[in-house]
Amino acid sequence: MNKLLALVKVDFKNTYGFNSLIQSLKNRRNIWITLVMVLAILSLIPSYFMLVMGLVNLADAFFQIGQGSYFLQMGIFGSQALVFALGILYVLSKYYFASDLNQLVPLPIKPSYIIGSKFITLMFSEYLTSFPVLLPFIIIYGLKASKGVAYWVYSLIVILTMPIIPLVLASLLVMVFMKYTNLGDKKDLIRIISSIFFIVFIIWLQLTIQQLAMKSIELGDALFLNLAKDSLYLVKRLGIVFPPSMWATLALANTNVSGLLYLVLFLGISFVSIGLMIYLAERIFFDGLIGNIEVVAKERKARDLTRSVAVMKPYLAIAKKELLMLVKTPVYLLNSIGGVIIVPIILVMPILMGDESMDTITSLISDYPHFVNLITIGIIVVLAMVNSIGPTTFSREGKNLWIQRVLPIRARDQVLGRVLSSLAVQLLGILVLISAIYIINRIKAADILIITSLGLVGSIPMTQLGMVVDIARPMLDWDNPQRAMKQNFNVLVALGLGALFMMGLFFLVKNLIYKIDLIYIYLILFTIFITLAIILQGILEKMVERQFMELE
Amino acid sequence: MLKLNNLTKSYGRIKAVNNINLEVRPGEIFGFLGPNGAGKTTTIKMIVGLLKPDEGMITLAGIDIWQEPLKAKSMISYVPDNPAVYDKLKGIEFLNFIADMYGISKEERLRKIDYFSKLFNIEHALENLISSYSHGMKQKLVLTSALINDPKLFILDEPMVGLDPKSSFNLKEIMRQMCDEGKIVFFSTHVMEVAERLCDRIAIINKGQIVTVGTMEELRSSAKDEETLEKIFLELTEDE
Repeated sequence: MNKLLALVKVDFKNTYGFNSLIQSLKNRRNIWITLVMVLAILSLIPSYFMLVMGLVNLADAFFQIGQGSYFLQMGIFGSQALVFALGILYVLSKYYFASDLNQLVPLPIKPSYIIGSKFITLMFSEYLTSFPVLLPFIIIYGLKASKGVAYWVYSLIVILTMPIIPLVLASLLVMVFMKYTNLGDKKDLIRIISSIFFIVFIIWLQLTIQQLAMKSIELGDALFLNLAKDSLYLVKRLGIVFPPSMWATLALANTNVSGLLYLVLFLGISFVSIGLMIYLAERIFFDGLIGNIEVVAKERKARDLTRSVAVMKPYLAIAKKELLMLVKTPVYLLNSIGGVIIVPIILVMPILMGDESMDTITSLISDYPHFVNLITIGIIVVLAMVNSIGPTTFSREGKNLWIQRVLPIRARDQVLGRVLSSLAVQLLGILVLISAIYIINRIKAADILIITSLGLVGSIPMTQLGMVVDIARPMLDWDNPQRAMKQNFNVLVALGLGALFMMGLFFLVKNLIYKIDLIYIYLILFTIFITLAIILQGILEKMVERQFMELE
Repeated sequence: MLKLNNLTKSYGRIKAVNNINLEVRPGEIFGFLGPNGAGKTTTIKMIVGLLKPDEGMITLAGIDIWQEPLKAKSMISYVPDNPAVYDKLKGIEFLNFIADMYGISKEERLRKIDYFSKLFNIEHALENLISSYSHGMKQKLVLTSALINDPKLFILDEPMVGLDPKSSFNLKEIMRQMCDEGKIVFFSTHVMEVAERLCDRIAIINKGQIVTVGTMEELRSSAKDEETLEKIFLELTEDE
């Protein structure tokens, strides 16, 4: 047990880097930068507030038809699904691709301890994503249903233990997956590609089951009869998809004896599942891991140098280096490139699968094709921030940054090369997105051209915005690439700024859409993107020059 | 000519480098000696543009390194003591990247990569990922990358640590050869024999200050007896 505690302690420090944070706060200049960062994060609050207000209205609707607890279940199920989906990515990078494994594996520690400690740190990472989703549902429901003390106590327990089952499920799936994909020297690539398919498959499965559950709800008079008869009718239907969401909901909806029993059931299954994971970890964790952390140096026949040597412009060479590092580092690949592929698929899949609630969207697409263009451009621009390439570009250099700093590289090339690498990844996302839309509703070549060009041009200022955040306070002191990409505060700050920018664009387009011709809206967007790109390029060049001199 | 004028760098209250002045002439191999924590690496980092001096000026061939960094950096190659390199690149990809940054022609880089990779015996590993390299191989790769550029100032921090005897010998040959071509070689070391045999001039730094500078003969003549560099070093750097 002591070993486990020690591992958790080290992993916590390693993951969240409190020591270096405190160290950097001691530097007065960093305090100012941190303050600006905090303000940027606060800028996320207005959009979050709008979402929460929307939830209040939704809750009203469900309470009116006597199915208030379904509202609660939506929150629980939604956050469980989120924990599970993110969990797969987290588990892959933390259990199998983290660099601390090099030190941990040779130590006399049982695999279950390694997994156990990593699981505990992951739980905390998951809290960061599950709290903002789950809390509004719990609070809104509790207030609307005027619940007593027991509800809030039960809620606290559910909130804290909620990530266990989905995270265990993700761990089990990944462990089995890794055991059977430990193949040859291209295994990293095989695994990354197959895990993208795997995630898409899981989402498909979830949607299918959800649809089945929804179809089992009788329509017409029978529905109203059922709704009136049983206030938990909808809860039980969705419960078919993922029973733990139902147990947690029922525990909170009735805090009497039956509620207590459901809580015990929910907790019991949670802890049994941890036991199962530990059991499996002892048996198969190392099978998937060994061979994963060693790098094989093959006796390659020295290739003819003339074929390996090519001259490139500095900014292109930087873009190429960035892309190579992104593709060859699993954590980066999964998060940046994986992100731009998976997100469009997730967005489009419900429509592709013929979800009836999506019919409105499908008909909207064919009736108002220009909406599709604008929305798609919006999604692409958002993806430029979601791909995290901009806000981690300097952080990802880590200890290698000295190379960039001692070389005679113009700031212009530094910025240009890094923006280009993000655009290359964006192009891949655009390809996936357009293909998906094309399958739903054949769009015209002219629209494809508009989407691609405006999407790409719009991705430039978005990437640059992230880079501004990153160069202001790059996170360079890391041993595990995961920290540069996923535990990088700069990503969150950049998302906040990006969200503000997108909200501004949204209101602008909303105000203009019926007043002027669409072509002018495209032109306005183009002008905004280009102007911002030029301004940000200038700012970035100055910042890069200064920071490359000032950093210590 | 490399000139360091009144160079000072502090970390909090500690003066890591305290008002040092140095001149290194073209065609010189200059050894920079000092105990651990004396300020060697700090000085070197200031010369190559990794640490901004609090005060003072550094010029190379009349160019202020901190005023015109691009011009200066295109004349400098630097090999740190513990080089971190892009693990996920292949050796050849890394060398190509460095050559692109210096704008070196294809013929020139082919010739240099071929020559130095064979000299340091890493030519067979160039197609492998750097993460598969041993510490010494990484160092040889960084040495090769630093030599692609044909620098006016070749600056190395503890270059012999981690090198096998043959590579160490080859490196010394290269340093001598560069010197003959009128370039400046500036390196820090703990190995007294290397400094004694290789350097045209030597500076000893202690607690951030230069305690002596000169040729081996000058150092000897200023010492009490006809001493070895090791004894001079120990005398000059011992705590009063």
